[in-house]
Amino acid sequence: MKNIFKYVLAFALIVSGTSLAQQTPGDAQSGAISVTGVTAHIGDGTVIENATIVFENGKITALGDASTPTRGTVINANGKHMYPGIIAPAKSLGLVEVNAVRASDDQDELGEFIPHIRSLIAYNAESKVVESMRPNGVLLGQTTPQGGRISGTSSIVQFDAWNWEDAVVKEDDGIHLNWPRSFRRGRWWLGEPRGFQPNKDYSEQVSEIANFMNNAKAYGKATDTERNLAFEATLPLFDGGKTLYLYADGEKEIIDAVNWARDNGIKKYVLVGGYHAYKITDFLKRNNVPVLVSQTHALPNFQDDDYDLPYKLPKLLDDAGLLVGIQNADMSNFQTRNMAFYAGQVVGQGMDKERALQLITGNNAKILGIDDMYGTLAVGKSATFFVSEGDALDMRTNILTHVFIDGRAVSLETHQTELWKRYSKKYGQN
Amino acid sequence: MRSSDNIRGRLVLPNGRETSFNANKTAGPEEAEKQAEGDDGEAPTVVGITYPNIGYGYKSVPQSQNILFKNATVWTGEAEGILMNTDVLVRDGKIAAIGQNLNARGARVVDATGKHLTAGIIDEHSHIAALAINEAGHNSSAEVTIEDVVDPEDIDIYRNLAGGVTSIQILHGSANPIGGRSAIIKLKWGESADNMIYDNTPKFIKFALGENVKQSNWQSFSRFPQTRMGVEQLYMNYFSRAKEYDAKKKSGANIRYDEELEVLAEILNGERFISCHSYVQSEINMLMKVAEKFDFRVNTFTHILEGYKVADKMAAHGVGGSTFSDWWAYKYEVNDAIPYNAAIMAREGVVVAINSDDGEMSRRLNQEAAKTVKYGGMSEEEAWKMVTLNPAKLLHIDDRVGSIKVGKDADLVLWTDNPLSVYAKAEQTYIEGALFFDLTKDASMRAAIQQERNELIKMMLDDKGGNNGAKRRPGSRPKQRFTCETL
Repeated sequence: MKNIFKYVLAFALIVSGTSLAQQTPGDAQSGAISVTGVTAHIGDGTVIENATIVFENGKITALGDASTPTRGTVINANGKHMYPGIIAPAKSLGLVEVNAVRASDDQDELGEFIPHIRSLIAYNAESKVVESMRPNGVLLGQTTPQGGRISGTSSIVQFDAWNWEDAVVKEDDGIHLNWPRSFRRGRWWLGEPRGFQPNKDYSEQVSEIANFMNNAKAYGKATDTERNLAFEATLPLFDGGKTLYLYADGEKEIIDAVNWARDNGIKKYVLVGGYHAYKITDFLKRNNVPVLVSQTHALPNFQDDDYDLPYKLPKLLDDAGLLVGIQNADMSNFQTRNMAFYAGQVVGQGMDKERALQLITGNNAKILGIDDMYGTLAVGKSATFFVSEGDALDMRTNILTHVFIDGRAVSLETHQTELWKRYSKKYGQN
Repeated sequence: MRSSDNIRGRLVLPNGRETSFNANKTAGPEEAEKQAEGDDGEAPTVVGITYPNIGYGYKSVPQSQNILFKNATVWTGEAEGILMNTDVLVRDGKIAAIGQNLNARGARVVDATGKHLTAGIIDEHSHIAALAINEAGHNSSAEVTIEDVVDPEDIDIYRNLAGGVTSIQILHGSANPIGGRSAIIKLKWGESADNMIYDNTPKFIKFALGENVKQSNWQSFSRFPQTRMGVEQLYMNYFSRAKEYDAKKKSGANIRYDEELEVLAEILNGERFISCHSYVQSEINMLMKVAEKFDFRVNTFTHILEGYKVADKMAAHGVGGSTFSDWWAYKYEVNDAIPYNAAIMAREGVVVAINSDDGEMSRRLNQEAAKTVKYGGMSEEEAWKMVTLNPAKLLHIDDRVGSIKVGKDADLVLWTDNPLSVYAKAEQTYIEGALFFDLTKDASMRAAIQQERNELIKMMLDDKGGNNGAKRRPGSRPKQRFTCETL
């Protein structure tokens, strides 16, 4: 059994080594696999030293200390570390390949209120950028349309698939709403000065959102009417079928957005961004709002802000008792492979390592509503995890030896590792 | 703007709008009268100026001190490697001694037990601390220099210090094949622009290749060159002209002074170095061949994301590579950019630096260096040199900075942890023995800024309720943040 498994892996590597597309997806798990001797970082704040993890048919069937009986193929991971697959929310991964090449860009559709625009059908399962996530432990993502007031509907995918139907983990999970800003930079191309100034259209823009939502609600109650795809796509917000992702950074914007969502019958909502959320944690806690903060590798927004405010923001919110995850919606997609280091940065600000890990695993899974299967290591959950030579939150030791998604052994090779090997060989460096 | 009794100037209104004003003096000062009606008001609050005069400015410019760091883990960056439980003595702004149980002899003692002491980080490719970056109207702008637009009040200087950065090269942008001249500065927060620029500064100029100079990614179809073919001939043309100009000048013949050709002639004469923005192997190879035809060497390829494909040719030419740790996929020419680039080039004998080209990444270049350990298995010491000694070599300032060596400038950083660790924080950053960043000072300045903000808000509120009753809208003039591509 062990030999067959090795043979399959080797074959997959040979085949993929000669292809120009993404690495060949792994075959469905055929027999039980056990990983032993590993430090298992569970993703809920706890660790099991010298752990054994057994998984069968894509699910974890046993997890415990060294006394846990193994089954099937055994992978000895003495001294190594295991983590749940990292989850990247609010990204257009698979929707754009090369930012500057317009032909490769499918992330931003025309229109301001377009919740019916679905990312999933444009998701490129063979994206080289998506492929480059895996050797760093980022194994799942919320592929999300960009731009406009309501950008569209996202879906959650896993990163080892033949096509988007294979990839989908949760279809049409959420609608993404960019809340208007009460202050904005001058639109210099319209002749306005460049400085910050009050957005005179703020109230009007907020009422546009309210009108759209009210119309959608009314549409849902009407019986005899023309079909309206945008309204139809909105309705699941009112019965919890979809989550509303509210993008807002300022105090006023956050408060307005949350109050509006709560008072208008939106069942599930999540704050995305939240730069000033640390000033109103009581309000957010009272309203039970989870926050997906921006990546820690960012500059402060204002000149007088603490130089390390973006580094410590997740900690400030976590300390206040909020459910916090990290996204990097504002960054280029290729940067998403640095998710582990965004979490590591918070440890430098005094957060416990296991708690920091939750920011990109367990908490993100909870916030995205996929924690029944992903985000932590637990019996009954998907075998979606990776093994690293050392501490995966640190650049020096995030060196992966194994990746499994739903129990499938996933290739660690990429377009980039192939070039690395090709040129190392040219120079006789390897 | 003052001219006798008339003044005029630029006025920034509270709403951020700008206007100009003229005023004519019609009477003398009214001080006496003011005193007479002074009963209703208190003396105005005067907020002391700081260096620079913005948030996080110091009450005075930090001065050099004699310091003894006791019991540190010292990353020398030299053959001595990493020394445990070692003391470093700083005197007169220089590193005076490295060893065990050194005598303080009056120097301030800093207990560095459990901490790491390194040379300050050097960023070969930065665009912070500048008021402009691209002179983009023409395909050559050798006549301009960033030294004229150094902005000593940029808050990103302070933030870089907080990330352990002490020296940067501010490069011109990449809008044209021949860009402008560089400014190489020390981040002496509070000093004037002139005092930040290195004494006897090495002379550099930015060149650029590829999509930016071809203007591929925006609607511009009329400026030569539009292809990599054209870029080569542009260089051939300019260097031919510079060679003729220089020969004529050296012959003693009368010449019409030409700033642009003077600068290019400096390159031909080995007096000015090129740092060239570059991505794909064909163009990298091309510029080396152009240089060889004119008998000079390219000093640095910056970005150089396909350097790994021609690393052997680069080593033979003698050019260094200053690259990103892991950037790619943002444009077509970085399709084959790989994070193993730095490691492959280094193993082929190229002097390799990791740079930022980005105000955010520059303040955690220690982490970017650490990525070369992950990608390509560099040793920690070699990784660390990629943000200290190697960029110093590329900038020709390695006789002064870049490592902890007796006689070098005391540009030092005290870290809470291994500096390559994502968990490390710069606790103190020194330039020439002067403390330019200190976590403790930072904490007290945060409190002071909060206090000052409250006072200002109170003054505004009082003002609102006062005689004129004017409501003031908050306004600001946001700083523009630059990269290579900012026009």
